[in-house]
Order: sequence, then structure tokens, then C-alpha cells
Amino acid sequence: MTDPTATDSRTTTTRRTTARARRRPHPERWFAFVGLLFISIGFILPFVWMLSTSLKTLDKAMELPPHLIPHPVVVRNYATVLQRGELNFPLLTHNTLVVSILSVLGTTLSSAIAAYGFAKIRFKGRSALFGIMLATMMVPFPVLMVPLFSIFRWIGDHTPIQMLGTLRPLWIPAWFGSAFSIFLLRQFFLTIPDELSEAACLDGCSDWRIFWQIIVPLSRPALAVVALFTFLGAWNDFLGPLVYIQDRQQYTLSLGLEAFQSQHGGTEWNLLMAASVLVLLPVIVLFFLAQRTFIEGIATTGGKG
Amino acid sequence: MKYFRMFLLALLGCVTAYLLFLVQPGESSRKDGRVVITYWEKWNGEDAAAMQQVVNDFNNTVGKQKGIYVRYLSMSNVDQKTLVATAAGVPPDVAGLWNTQVAQFAEINALEPLDDLAKAHGITADYYKPVLWEGCRYKGHLWALVSSCGSQALYYNKLLFARKAAALRKAGLDPNRPPRTLDELDRYAAVLDEYETLPNGFRRLKQSGFLPMEPGWYLAYIGYWFGAPIYDPQTDRILLTDPRMVKAFDWIRGYSLRLGKDSLSEFRSGFGTFNSTQNPFIARTVAMELQGPWMTSTFEKYRPAMNHGKYPRSLERSLSPTQRQENCEWGVAPFPSAVPGLNDVTFTNFDVLMIPRGVKHKKEAFEFIAFVNSQAETEKLNILNCQDSPLRQVSRHFFEVHPNPYIAVFERLMAGPHAYGVPPCPIWPEVGAELDNATQRVSLLEASPAQALRDAQERVDEKYREYRERQRARRGSQG
Amino acid sequence: MTRKEARQLVRGLTFLSPWIGGFLAFTLVPIVLAFYYSLCDYSLLQSPVLIGLSNYRALMGDPIFWKSLINTLIYAAIALPAGMLVSLGLAILLNQRTLGQPLFRTILFIPSLVPTVASAMLWLWLFNTKLGLINTLLATAPMQALLGALNTVLHALHLPRIETPIGWLTDPAWALPSLAIMSLWGVGYTVVIYLAGLQDVPRSLIEAAEIDGAGAWQRLRHVTLPMLSPVIFFNLIMAIIGTLQAFAIPYIMTGGGPARATYFYTMYLYDNAFRYLKMGYACSMAWIQFLLVVLLSALAFWSSKRWVHYQGQ
Repeated sequence: MTDPTATDSRTTTTRRTTARARRRPHPERWFAFVGLLFISIGFILPFVWMLSTSLKTLDKAMELPPHLIPHPVVVRNYATVLQRGELNFPLLTHNTLVVSILSVLGTTLSSAIAAYGFAKIRFKGRSALFGIMLATMMVPFPVLMVPLFSIFRWIGDHTPIQMLGTLRPLWIPAWFGSAFSIFLLRQFFLTIPDELSEAACLDGCSDWRIFWQIIVPLSRPALAVVALFTFLGAWNDFLGPLVYIQDRQQYTLSLGLEAFQSQHGGTEWNLLMAASVLVLLPVIVLFFLAQRTFIEGIATTGGKG
Repeated sequence: MKYFRMFLLALLGCVTAYLLFLVQPGESSRKDGRVVITYWEKWNGEDAAAMQQVVNDFNNTVGKQKGIYVRYLSMSNVDQKTLVATAAGVPPDVAGLWNTQVAQFAEINALEPLDDLAKAHGITADYYKPVLWEGCRYKGHLWALVSSCGSQALYYNKLLFARKAAALRKAGLDPNRPPRTLDELDRYAAVLDEYETLPNGFRRLKQSGFLPMEPGWYLAYIGYWFGAPIYDPQTDRILLTDPRMVKAFDWIRGYSLRLGKDSLSEFRSGFGTFNSTQNPFIARTVAMELQGPWMTSTFEKYRPAMNHGKYPRSLERSLSPTQRQENCEWGVAPFPSAVPGLNDVTFTNFDVLMIPRGVKHKKEAFEFIAFVNSQAETEKLNILNCQDSPLRQVSRHFFEVHPNPYIAVFERLMAGPHAYGVPPCPIWPEVGAELDNATQRVSLLEASPAQALRDAQERVDEKYREYRERQRARRGSQG
Repeated sequence: MTRKEARQLVRGLTFLSPWIGGFLAFTLVPIVLAFYYSLCDYSLLQSPVLIGLSNYRALMGDPIFWKSLINTLIYAAIALPAGMLVSLGLAILLNQRTLGQPLFRTILFIPSLVPTVASAMLWLWLFNTKLGLINTLLATAPMQALLGALNTVLHALHLPRIETPIGWLTDPAWALPSLAIMSLWGVGYTVVIYLAGLQDVPRSLIEAAEIDGAGAWQRLRHVTLPMLSPVIFFNLIMAIIGTLQAFAIPYIMTGGGPARATYFYTMYLYDNAFRYLKMGYACSMAWIQFLLVVLLSALAFWSSKRWVHYQGQ
């Protein structure tokens, strides 16, 4: 990460360049515009298709050649999906929300604490530990999947906390930090000058207070990025619930959607698309709300190794 | 814009609060001093509802008298979940799994043997149809009992036959009856195919007489119709390269060659889901299928006219069995075999109830299984599910009330000497996967039948050798 | 160790303790356990019995293991470079000050928000041979003309022609490329990370190059790309980790078919663990996968010395 003082000078340079650039024709910008326009249409078309299919009757959805505009428009598909007993949308959303929210809180908090340790405290063995942490990002989940099962069982047998048969295996590990989030936050914390914290706490106040009163308020965009990434990860997770959730009462949206598909041979396309739209909707709303903080946060954190 | 964002935020907050705090799982753990039995089942929708009725019957009668309450849960991937829960020490008391898993689970000690309990309840070999009784046993012990079962037979669409009557007659075939040999079936199929040619030369199928891959659920077992044993229990060998198997797979390949593999793929991608009006048999795009008794209920749901074509509904209750059959647009006959003299071959697939090893209430769990297997309850369940009865004794009521007017054909096939099931081989899930892969390779013309089967045989031999070696070593080390 | 150093160590470890605890319980112990299981005959339901390297030996002679590994590597060989190129290209386009830039950014990012299961459903439908949008578009006259021209070129190069309709997921030759094409739809995350990296490329450098008379391509080649190389490297490592673990999409969309053309490594691992009850075998597969990721990452690290330029060097 570059020295944060450089940011100001860079902004001024940018402004100057822009002013000069306006005076000259830029063919590559037109090229970019046309290119982006076509690519965006390509990216958005699947959504249109999804929405259109979700509003068709099954017979119309299976029609050949297919039509983009649904006729008649069947809004009832959505009601059907919401009312399907075996899908139980409210319960699925409830479970997914429990897992997502607890994961977001846990990951953000614990990762920020660990990132502070990596970024702001100099101690022996720090870089070795940091290296180990980066290496854990390379461990594929399937390696952990099975042994984790034994561990969850062991915890259930030897402590009063029952893991299997509950949603806990999906969110408890989140409270111990995730390597990716720690890495991202550490990069951001490094850009906060030490003088700032030292000045604020002249007479050697505790790390804990520096962390809460200086670092956390200054890092809101980065924390938002971590929270959003974690939320999306938890909301969309499929393999975790597939392995650890048994009871239909504890299904998450991903699992419920997959079960819905496998029961129905995968081709009750209109209902399936309606269900997919419903799963996607909250995520899009969330992104729309957090968009600015998100792009800002990502831009200031960067992803440099 | 700002207000819109705030509105969205507030809305999201309210919905989240509602979903987090007000939605509660519909837990129905009624206890009132009874022993609670958990029962996991894979079924969904109407099958699940049918079983729910049986569970309710139990809870209201036998369960009440003996102080047992069954808690019924249906889920997807039930086998993996049962396994993992058993490994974790929290198994369900009764697990509703598939017949392919009896040997697999029994061999690794994952199940409680049921011999004594079954005998005490009067459930013996004489009580069950042989193919099912054998399918529930492994290495001399009983490990499971049946919930639902179905044998396979040929469905043919009389209407499509009638439409092509002239062409069929010209080919020397009788449009008023189903094919009786496999060779005849191929000839009927060829006459019933219809296709168009696209401007770029692609041959697009519009209707087909028969497709091995539709629905193709039991294609791995097609060898039985060619007289192939698939597995020899005496020598404990899997026999995929048997010449009769090669012949069977050659027959599958014949369809891909005749119709074109790409045309077949394209045609099949246009089929709707099994449970819809776009099911190809219901949509009349495929004229013959290898299917089980449950098809009637699918017709009833998506195109009831297929079951009630001839007589007005008001008369239906007084129809004779033959008249009930005439009332259908379709007919059922034994799926013809390729071997002269080998008649009435069928493959029987069934769902089982098992008790995982280490459950707390084995006796109470078996009370429930025995209840499901009483003649009254099993007939009730299988009428609701539109399946066969697993028992030797079948009541007249069952035949009269069963939604499929051809149920007698299925019952006869399943009780007959050529009813086959899944081989009692502990690595059958892997063998099945290999067989499925071989059918796909053959029908996509990726490999010759002999080659595909040889590859599959080699792999399963190696896996089975390894498996047995390890089981032996394990037994040795444990004394 | 001085007293100050000791105090610092305690301070540091206090803050790292949640992560260290999690690392021990949920990463280190499982890895070690997985290694132990990989040396065992273990079916989940029976206790593990040590059998030495037998699982690894069996894997070496297991054609399905090789098939799934090769499938995964082929997929990675298509999806990885394609994803890197497309995401970098999109980021560079998006970095231009064009009309509607914020809108384009949003549109290109949204697909990566779609839940895996939902996008699998969607693409299953788009790829449908008979009714799918893609083949419907390809059947239109202009696309047919374009394909005809393409086929003439392919024919001249002695390559197989492209026959329509294409069996995207039903033709074994197309299935893997189809999944790779689909993966391009989700490049949004990577694009955003590139965009962030592009913000850090000093304008002054580009400007200087422009004044020296460098064209757009030369500026990109000699200024932007070298400055961006650390980000490219980061994305490369992330992509290696991600592609080698592909599971949910093929599991839902094709179940590994047709004829195992899309049977991925992780799927075979999953089947062995939970369908065939060979947990020990699955764990040895998992360890091989881990080693493979480490090996490929190490390779990337080694090569990075040649092409990654850190600012200030």
C-alpha cells in the first residue's frame, strides 16, 4: 500500500490531467463506450431472460421458438413459490439470515482484531504467523470438510454446546477470523499512520482503546467491504449447508433452492426462475444500498499481495 | 433518491426483523410421556403426504397403545445425512433409504439386524414377494423392510399407435396391440418416429416411438431383459462384460446410430420435467416407455383425459376392469425381452426402512416399521403412492381401488420368477455409477459397447478387490 | 528476549488469539486429521484403521481419479486465462472516463452477486439445446451467416466445423468449455479488485508517457500493466485456488455428465466421502489437492520474480 500522504497529490494530478484531456479527442474512450455497451447487454441479458421466464406459464416457457416478452404475464408464479409448503420460503430466509448475520458480525469483529495485531503491533514471529495465515487461504475446503465433522461431533460430546443438528457449524468458525478478511483489513490498517494513534493517546493508552476509538472509526469502508463479502459468501454458500445441515427445518436458501430443483427434475423453469429471482432480490437491494461504500472501500484497500 | 434509499433501508430492516424473530420452525415434538421415534424420509410432496397419513395412523392407534410417537421428517440427500448423523452418533431411529444401500450399509455394520424382531411380528419369507425379501437381506440376515416398491413394464400410447395405424400395418405390425418381442418394439418405434430437416441439414426429431434414455432411470439394469445376470452371488462377481450385457448395450447404441446422437440430445433437451404437462409421454412426443405403476397418478395430475377417454365420469365407478383399461389412452404390457422364451422380465425398485446402528429405541422403531408392513397399511400407502404391494397376499380391494387399472400386470411381474432387483453387492453405488457412465458413453457413441463395459468391469473389479481386502484386514485386526 | 519484547509479544498474541484459536481448531487440527485419515481405511461408520500409503497407491491406479483431475486441469486451463484476460480487459475499459461509467460498473458487478445455485439454474436454462436463449440467438440469420464464415475459416485450418444447434451441456466436447464460458459471467469481483489497482497507477507516469508520444497500446503495455502486476499476481493466486475447487456449479448443472465430461476433482472427492463411504480415500484426494494448490502457487511465486514489479523497486 502506498503512503497515504501520496493520495492528495495524486488527486490533484488527476484533476489537472482531466482538464487537459477534455480538450483533445480520445478515440479509445469511444471504443471503450461501445465495447462496454455490448458487453453490458451480454451481461444483463441472462437476467432479462430469468425475469421473463419467471413470469411465463410453464407451457409458454417451454415454447419453441421462445419469446422474450411473456404473454400472458403470470405474477402468480411468485405467489406459488412463496406458498409451496415444501419450499417454505420464510423459514429458509430466516435460517439464511441467522447464518449470514452471525457470520458477518463474527468475521468482521474477529478479523479486525486480528488484523490490528498484524498491522499495529511489532512482535517476534509476526511475519511467520502472517505467512502461515496467508497459506491457510490455500487450503481447499474439502480437506477440512470431513475432519471438521469429527471436530464438531467432539465439541458436542465434550462441551454443552451441541453443534451437529444445528446451524452452528455454519457460523461459529466465522467468529475466529477469516484469512481473506484479516489480510484485507491489515492492508487497510497499515495505511493509517501510527502518529495518529500516538497523538490521540499521549499518555500510553491501551491497544484496546486505540483499536475501538481510532482504528475502527477510520476503517468503516474497509469493514463494510469485509462485511459485504462475508454476507455474500454466507448467503450463497452451498457446500457447507449441504454437508452440515440435516434437518429440513434448518435448510438455507441455497439448499432449499437446490432441493426444489432436484425434486422437480430441474425443469419447472418458470417457478425455478421465480424462486431464483426471490433469492437474488435481497442481495441486489443490499448491494444497491452499500454500493458507494463498497466501491470506495475496495478502492482504498486494494488487493495487493 | 435519498428518501428512496432510506425507504429501502427501513423496509429491509423490518423484513429482517420479521424473519429473524417471528418465523419459528414448525416443531411438533409432542411428547406426553411417549417414546419419540425420529423417522427420516426422502420423499416430498404427495408421497410425503401419503406417508404422513400412515404415520398419523400409527400415532393414533398402535403408537397410542404402546406409548410410541413417530416424528416424521422429509429431506433431500437423506442417505448422506443419515450416514453423517450416524457417524456423529445422532442417528434417526428409522431411516427411509434406497434398496441400493442395504448391502452397502450392512457390510460396514451401519445397521441393526432385524431378523428376531421381524420373526416376532410374523414377517417372514412367506409374507413377502421373493424379490423384495431377497433385496432386504444380505449375508443371511434381514436389514430392512419395504415401504414402497414398483416393478417396470412397457407403457404404450394407443392413440399414437392408432394415428400411425396404416404405416404400422404396412410394416406388418398390428396397431391394436403392444410389441411382444424386443425386435418388434424396435420396428414399432421406427414407424412411430417423426422428424424434420432444418435448413442447415440438422435432423430435428418431433416425435419418437421409443428412446432407451427416456426416462432411462433403469437403463443400467437393461441387461436383465437380455438374460444377463449382471452379478453372480455364488462367486460374488460383477459380470458386466457378459456377452448378453454387450448385446444389451449394443441395442442402446442402435438407437443413437439410427436417430443420430446430436438429434437425440437436442430432442431430449426439449422434454419437460417428469412432473409436468411437458413430460414427453404426456405431451405425446414419445410413444413407448419403460416405467412403473406410478405413471397413472402423473397422468391424472397433468392430463386427466389420458385416464378417462371413453366413458363419462358418472359411470366410472361401475366399470369392469377391462372397461377401466379401455378408458385409458395408454396401455401396459410386460417389457419384451430379447431372448425367445424368456418372458415377464421386470426390474423391481423399492424404498426401504432401516434402523441405523446404535439407536436408543430399536424395539419401538421396529413397531413402526412392522406397522407400515401390515397388509392394511402397506396397501393403503401404496395405493396412495400408486405403487405395488410388497406382500404375497394382495387383497381384492387393492386391485379394485388402485388408480392404475393395469396394476395386475405389475403385480404379476413382480411376483414372477423373472423379477430382479439390485444385486446384493456392498459397492453397488459405485458399480451403478460405472454402469450409468457406460450407458452414457455408449449412447453418445463415445465408446463401443464392448469397450465401455470392459472399462467399467476393470474399474469395479479393482475397486471390489481393494474393498474386500480391506474388510478382511479389518476383521482380522479386530479378531 | 528483553522485557519490552516479551511485552510486545503478549500484546500481539492477545490480539491474534481469536485467529490463532480458530486456526488451531478449524484449520490445523483438521489438516492433520485429514492426513491421518488419508493413511486409514475409514468409512465414517467404522473406526479408522491405519493402512499406510495404500490409499495414495490406489489413487495412482484409479482411472476416475485421473479423469477428474484432468477435467479440472483442462477447465482451469480454459477458465483461468480467459477469466484473467476478460476481467483485466473489462477493468481497463471501465477505467476510461466514458458515458454511463457508474452504470456499467454496476451492471458488470451484479452477476457476481447471484447465488451460485441461482446462476446454475439460469445457465442451465440459457444453455438448453432446444429452448435456450443462446441457441435461439445462434439460429437467427445473421448469426448463421457469421457461423458460416467462421466454419469456412475453421475448414481452411483443418479444424472441426461448429454444427448448430450446439449441445452446450449435452455434448461431451462442449460441456467443459461451456462451464468455462459461464464462469466469465462472474468476473465482477476480480474486475473490482483490478479497478482498485488501476486507481493506484500514478496519472503522472501515464501522462509522461503520453507526452513522450506513446500510443494507447504502448501506455498500457509499458506503464499500466507493469504497475498493475502485483494485483494481477494476487488475482492469479486467488483464481488458482478457486478454479481447482470448482464444485457447486457442475454438481448442480451436469452432475458430472455427459459421460463424466464434467466430473470434477472435488465431485469425485465428495462422492467417495459421502456416497461410497470411503472417507480415507477422500482425505488422500484432499491432501493431493492441497499439495497441488501449493505447488501451483509456488510456481506462480517463482515466476512472479520475472514479471511482478512492486512500486518503489
